This record gives sequence, C-alpha cells and structure tokens, in this order.
Amino acid sequence: MAFGLKDIKAKYRELFVVEKSPEEKNQPKDIKKMARDFWYGKPHEERRLGDLYVGNTGLYKHREWRGFKDTMYYFNMIWLYNYAHMVTDIMEYGGGPQGIVEFAKGTMRYRWMGQTYLTVMHWFDRGLEGARGETMKASAWHYRGMVSETIRQFMRMFEADKKLHGGEENELWKKTIAHNETLSGNIFYGWRDQLDDVALEMIPYFVSVHVNNHTVLNYIDAAQSIGLPSDPCPMCQAEYGLFVQDDYPDYSPVMLTTNEACDGSVATSVLQDWFLNRPLYAMPQPMRYDDPLVQKHCQKEIEGAWKFVEENFGIKMNWDLYVEHAKNFNKLTEFEWEKWDVAANTPYYPITGVAQALYRIYYSQDGDRQIWHDMDAHVKRIMDKCVKNKIETFPKTRHRAIAWSCAPLYYSHWCTWAYNCWGINCVINMDSLMFDQYLRTDTYEHALEDLSWFNEKAPMRAMAVGGQEHILSLFDYMERFNCDMVIMYDQLQCKGMQGIHGVFEDEFRKRNIHAIWVPHALPDKRTVSRAEIRDIINDYMTTVMREEPLDPTLLDFDDSGSW
Amino acid sequence: MKTLFRFLFKILKIAALVYGILFAVFYYDLDGKFMYYIWEPLMIKRFDNMKRPDATAMPYSMKESVE
Amino acid sequence: MKDLVHIFELEDLLQEANNPLVRQAKADGKRALGYTCYFMPEVLLDLPGCFSVRLRAPRSGSPDMATYYMSNRTCMYGRCLLERALEGGFNFLDAQMATETCTVTCRFQEHLQLMDIIKNPDFFCEFTDVPFKKNENSIEHYMGQLQSHVLDKLKEHFDIDTSDEALLKAIEEHNEICRLISEIGSYRKLDEPTITGWEFSVIQLATLVCPKYLIIDKLRDIAEQLKTRTPDAKKTYRCKVVLSGSEMDDPDFVKLIEECGALVVADRHCYGSLPGREEIVVKEGETPLYAIARHYLETSQCPRFMDQHVMRERKQFLADVAKEYKADAIIITQMKFCEYWSYERTIDTLVIPRDFGYPVCSIEREYVNNAVGQLRTRFQAFVESIELKNLQKEG
Repeated sequence: MAFGLKDIKAKYRELFVVEKSPEEKNQPKDIKKMARDFWYGKPHEERRLGDLYVGNTGLYKHREWRGFKDTMYYFNMIWLYNYAHMVTDIMEYGGGPQGIVEFAKGTMRYRWMGQTYLTVMHWFDRGLEGARGETMKASAWHYRGMVSETIRQFMRMFEADKKLHGGEENELWKKTIAHNETLSGNIFYGWRDQLDDVALEMIPYFVSVHVNNHTVLNYIDAAQSIGLPSDPCPMCQAEYGLFVQDDYPDYSPVMLTTNEACDGSVATSVLQDWFLNRPLYAMPQPMRYDDPLVQKHCQKEIEGAWKFVEENFGIKMNWDLYVEHAKNFNKLTEFEWEKWDVAANTPYYPITGVAQALYRIYYSQDGDRQIWHDMDAHVKRIMDKCVKNKIETFPKTRHRAIAWSCAPLYYSHWCTWAYNCWGINCVINMDSLMFDQYLRTDTYEHALEDLSWFNEKAPMRAMAVGGQEHILSLFDYMERFNCDMVIMYDQLQCKGMQGIHGVFEDEFRKRNIHAIWVPHALPDKRTVSRAEIRDIINDYMTTVMREEPLDPTLLDFDDSGSW
Repeated sequence: MKTLFRFLFKILKIAALVYGILFAVFYYDLDGKFMYYIWEPLMIKRFDNMKRPDATAMPYSMKESVE
Repeated sequence: MKDLVHIFELEDLLQEANNPLVRQAKADGKRALGYTCYFMPEVLLDLPGCFSVRLRAPRSGSPDMATYYMSNRTCMYGRCLLERALEGGFNFLDAQMATETCTVTCRFQEHLQLMDIIKNPDFFCEFTDVPFKKNENSIEHYMGQLQSHVLDKLKEHFDIDTSDEALLKAIEEHNEICRLISEIGSYRKLDEPTITGWEFSVIQLATLVCPKYLIIDKLRDIAEQLKTRTPDAKKTYRCKVVLSGSEMDDPDFVKLIEECGALVVADRHCYGSLPGREEIVVKEGETPLYAIARHYLETSQCPRFMDQHVMRERKQFLADVAKEYKADAIIITQMKFCEYWSYERTIDTLVIPRDFGYPVCSIEREYVNNAVGQLRTRFQAFVESIELKNLQKEG
C-alpha cells in the first residue's frame, strides 16, 4: 500500500489541525487578546467547539483550551488524576496487584469491558465540554465517583466470575448477590459486611452505553436474533442480549429481580431466568403505589427477598448494619435535596445536566457506598463556594429547561451541547427526582415502610406508573425548578410514554409551554441519531424561538462514529 | 552534595519531560486516537471472532417455589 | 356439520360493544361495567344489579384520534378501544373497572379518567392493583384490592349488594356459565371434534361481552345440540392446533386459520377459555372474596407472573393443553407491541418444540387484521409442514 508524504500530511491535518474560519484568518493579530484568551479562555461565543472534532469520530484535533487555570486543572485533576486512580482502584478493589491480572482477563473476555470502558476519559470530555471553573470541577467529581464505583463493581464481578476461573465456584462467587439493575442496592444493606451485591446489567449494559455506545448494538441484535421483535424497549433487549451472547459474568449462585418499570422489564426476567438457570427471587413492586392498601404487600415481598438471601447464603441479615447504611444513605439524600434547592432557586448550581442525571440515578440505584460520600463532600465544598460568592455557573443561560421521561443513553450529554450551542440550561431531569424518600430507622416497621416506598419510587416507575398524575407532575416540577422550557424525551419504544403522548401535546398547548420533543431509542443510536436530535432542537430554536446560536459551529456536525 | 543535586535535577528533568509528554497526549487527544483507531478495532475483531456457546441450548427444567 | 343453534345470533351480538342484549340489560335497570383484563374478576361485576362487559372494538378501522393520543407505537387493541370510546361507542358504560396489568390498556383507561370521554354522568373509572405473584401475600393483597376498589365502589356508587350471600350467588351463576362453556369446549377434545374453533370462539366471546343471564339459555341449547352433533363424514381439516397468545377477540382470525386447514381445538389466550372458564371453588374456611381472589391468581397463565416456578410451569401448561386436546401443533400469536407476549412468544417458540416436541407457528398480528394474505400463506405453509412431519412419523 503506497502511503506518501502527501497522505501523511493530509492525515495530520485531519487529526490535529483546526482550520481557522475566514474571519479569523483575516483578523489582524491582537497580542493582548491572545494573551487574554490564553489565560482566561475564549469567550463563549468565540469558542467554535465544533471545529475541534475529527470527522465523524467525536475525537478532538486537540482538547479544548479552557484558559490556563482550567486547562491545567482539567489536565491534572481530571485527566491525569482519573487515569492514575483507575489503576489504583483496580488494585484496591482487586485485592492488590493481582487485581491487574483479573482486570486484564475481564478485558479480554467481555466485549462490554474490552471495547468500552477504556475509552472512559472521552466520557468525561463529552460531559464537560465547554464547562469552566466550578462547574467543570463539581461535575468532574460526579464522574469520578461513577468511574470508581464502576471499577469496584466490575472487579468484584471478575474476581467472583466462574467463567474467568475455569468454571470454579470460588469463595467470592459464593458471597456475591446478583440482582437486576432496577432492583435497588439498599435491599442488601444487611449483608454488606459479609456479602456483596452487584447489579447484573448495570456495568455490562447501562453504564457502558454512556461511555461507549458501540458495544450495546451487539446485544440488541443478539436479542432479536432469537426471535424477539424489534419493538420492545431496547434496554430490556440489551439486558438479555448479554445472555444470548454469553457475555455476562457468572459471579453469583442466585438472582433477584423486580418489575421496574414496565411490561418489558417483567418479561425480560423470563428470558434471563432461562439463561441463568439458578434460583431466582422476584421482588415485584405494586403498580398503584399511592394506594395505602398496597404497602403491606410490598413490605412482605421485601421480607421475602431477605429470607431468600438468608436461605441461599446461610447468613442472617444484620439489622444494625441495615440501619447504619440507611442512615448514611439519608445523608446523600439530604445533600441531594440541598442541590435541588440551589438548582431550583439560584443561578449558582455548579453541575451540568448530564452529570446531575447520571450521578443521581447511579448512586441512588447503587445505594450507600463510601465513594458517594467522598464525592458529595467535594461537590458540597464547591457548591457552597458558588452560593457564597454568587458565582453564576451557567452565565449564558437563556432558558432553564427540565428534561422529562427517560433520556437517550447514547446522548445523555445532549444538555452539554444544548447549553454550548443555544444557552439551554437543563436544570433538572425526571430521573433525578426518583427515589425521593427519606429512610426512617427508628423502628423496624418504619424502616420497612420507607424502604418499600423507596423502591416503589424507583427510576421510571415513580413517574410512569400508578396513575397519569405521576407523569403529569412535570408541570409542578417545572414550577418548582423555575423552568421555562421542557425537553420532552420521546422514547419511541416505551409503551408507557407513547401511550400518553397526546395528553402532553394538549397540555403543552393549553399551558403555552415551550416543549421540544426529542425522539430516541434509549441505547440504540441507529433509530434516531444524535445529529437528528440536534436538528430537532436547532429547528425549534430557530423557527419557534427565533434565536441565534451562541456557537454556530455546533449547529451541524457529524458524530455518527463517536463513542 | 553536588551529585545529589545533579541527581535530583536529573529526576526533575525526567519528570518534566514525562509531564510534558503526558500533556501532549492529553492536549492532542492521543489517548482517544489510540483507543479509536488501534485499540477498539482490535477488540472488535477479537470479540467478533470469539466462539460463543448457544445460549438457547440451556435446559429449561421446572423449579421449586422459593416462597 | 349441521349449523349450531344460535351461532349466527351470537355472532351478530359480537358486531358492536353496545349490542342488543347489553341494551336490554340496561333497560332492565342494570349497570354496565366495563373491563379489559382477566384480572378483573367478571364474577364480581356480575353481581345482582350489574353486569360485566369485556371491552372490544369490533369492526375497527384506522384509530386516528387514538393514535394522536397514544402514538402508532402502542398496542392497537388499546388504541382501538380509545378510538371507540372517543367515538362514543362506550357511552353505555356506567363504570370502567380498570387494572394496571399491561401498559397500554392501563393508559387507555387512564384516558377515560382524565378526559371525560364517556358521556354518562354516573360514569367512573376505578383502578385495582394486581400482584405479580401467586403466593399467599399476593392473594391477600389482591383480595383487599378487590374489596376496596371493586366491591366498595359498586356499593358506594350503585348500591350493589356485595354481601357474602350475594357473592356466593354470583359465583354459582358464574360457575353455571363455566360449566356450560367447559362442556361445549370439551367436544374439541374428541378425535374428531364436533365443534369448530370459530364456533367456540364466538360462543366464548359472547359470554364475555353479553349479560350472562340473557344468554345462558342459548348456551344450554348449544350444549344440548352438541350431545348429538356428529362430525362431517369427510374430515374438513388437515391438522389440529392450539391457539395461544395475547389479546385475541376476533373469531375471523380463528376462521382464517381453519380455512387454511388447521382446526383450532384449544384457546389459551387473553379472551380464551383455557384458562378462563374454570369453576370457582370456595374451600372450607374461605370467604367468597378470598376464594375469588385465589381462583383468579391461581388459574391465570398470564406472562406477567414472575415467580420462577410459575414462569416455567406456563410452558408445561401449554404443552399439557396441546396433549389434552390432541393437537398436532401450537400457533402462538402476539398483538404487535405487546411486550409481555413478545418475550413469552420468543421463549415458547424456542422451548416448546425442543422440550415438548410440538411444532410452533409464531405470529405477530395487529388488532385490525389487514394482513390476511400474508397470514394465510404462513398458516398454509405451517399446515403443510405438520402434514409432512406426520407423514414422516407414519413412514
């Protein structure tokens, strides 16, 4: 293959050289401005972030220059810090240097690991694009928490995994509880000293899509390859596609599952049960959860789950341990409420829409872990500083938006783009408002009551089931968070949300609300691409809102091959 | 003493060089480019060619109630 | 075979939800109570003073208004019901006894609550929570729900007698219908059945959508005639099949299968009789309501049940039905966009032939059956494959 100097030059230009706009080329050199831009970074309107991308890859010709201080912070405290901590996390959670070996085995065995997670720093980049100062710092701590917890979980999976240990059921296999990702980790607090609970699909599927959406397509296709039609929720499809591809770690003797939040979720259990072929406990939650009559039933199912764990692992539940973790978790909830308060009532909230959404759903599903407390301490310090010093964290905000329904996992960072391009500041989203429940621990009865409430208000189901008043609570939250715009996620395969589409249309018209419908297929970027999502928002902003973009280079670019 | 300073200076120089190289990797997104153009295609090839058992061959026997 | 008595009359009754017998019962001063799912026990809605109507939207075309409200990516059954409601076709209903048992019918019923669609001043829509398991905890929970959201509401709104005596009487009347339907259905077990799948589906559907006290005599006549009905001298079918799957209230679909040479001998689907027409037994020490709650949870074979052993027993149940009714194969149909049955159909299609040896024809269909040509080809090919298999066996 002939590969001349010309080609090398062309490749170099493609990969590294940011072409200047004609206006920039014609401008005389302004040393003072250059120095200012070097030190403080360019003003929002002059950043031209869209010019930084390499073709359709989502890679950067060079990473964004955010001003000297922020760039050095990003380099040292985000990029270097996280790469270094990934290594130390692997060793810490993997029981020392041998953790590296387990990690390497997992990387070579599982597609969702080998192909996906090593690209994690680009996940940071996408979520923090354009972010400056305290916003960048606070949001990055959220990402750091998620990365660390992801490593903890996959290391536990790998260490206990029969498939990585020649079919041997080792001690850790016998001491790990596998559960569906929609079953909250707080159910297992009472065993956290002797057993560990790891959600089965959280790392192989859910988090992986956010980091690198290429992998999941294999699982969706695999799910359909055995005869499932293409219309059921693609999240459920991917969850069992892992099994069809034999790409799930076999790390536990049991499985616990639940019915959150839809018919597809229930039905997925049927196929997962078949492929797992081991004792399975279903802990369904009632659908009409506002009804006081359903609570006892729900509580008994939780007790049933506890009995199941006790019988299968031969270890009694430690009630004091439950109380300890529940109390700790309440601290996370208290801080979440504090965050909501700042987000709702001030312009000083230092967390990007994507960091807010992902962190909240991750930690509340996962339950009490030390890493969340550590991260909250960092974020609290930053948030307090912003409030005290009245630092406007999103100074170019034109619209305060609330995002409703379930988000496109392959484009959860759309809000970063929307702010950079249009000044749409996604203040809060539906997933953040789940699990809104304090856990009392003064008596067994109170604890059980609140625990059942907590699980009844799990992701999606809190708003999507149990009566239309839940999903229509959007309008109350809109008011509470002082929003003037709705980004209405339109998950094309979610029957529950599709089934109430017209009512929302009517309500938006009646209430004269600016709502942008964003169609998507959860993890599957092939149905509605990211570019199509941007086009829809662009069209609305130009034709309905008649606004000009803050950064026109972000209006139209190709990121079809991006992670 | 001089040797010690010289040694420390050398270490400092190496550290600065490494730091500079890392900054270049960071700034020019070389980690991303490596992952995208080299690592990921290798992994795709590996996983596409991996032999996988037929999951649907799993037996489907009756189970006892776990209530 | 000689035409079955009343069959065309019953077929006519299926042409609209507000059929002449429904109108007659309303004229008799009875309250019409709508429902969509097996988990709303019809026996409770048939208490003295009211009657149950399982909702259908016969002769539906394109549900345009409902598609605006529910998009075109939801189950067409739910959309057709909403369309019919928006057209005024359900204004005869005095109440909708709702269940959140599958997403789209739930949303349909929520629209009835939200949008003041049913033009009847007395109308209300009440939801019941239905558990996902068959354990004791679930039976007790379900019983509490039925008491609070069905019986108490009927008493409160329409002063219906919901005493144990009234319930026992309703159970007795319900069991009479079940006995008759089971008797009529049992002729499908014969080596040469004396009732067709289409005929049975018309009869079964009529019992779901008509006031029972107005059709029971017709059922008795049919049962009587079947005692002496003889099969055609020359077999009119090439094989026998079980029809399994999700919501299915279209006798013409059964007719289509039978026209292709497969006699439908068993109906294991949402509107079918297997399960559905088992008698309710009140065991010693049980209250009638407890017995009803237990009965509906125990008998249901809905794919929304999540107990591990129940999920697995469902396949055995289907195979047992096929054996009992001497079927050669199973047709599994799923309403497009029905998520429960998307998965159940997938696993049934893989496990049933492998573990039980029954060939399976796996079909996705719409509520308004426009794909007759394609389906006919599928069924014909399936029938031929079964014949070939049978020939090979004989050879």
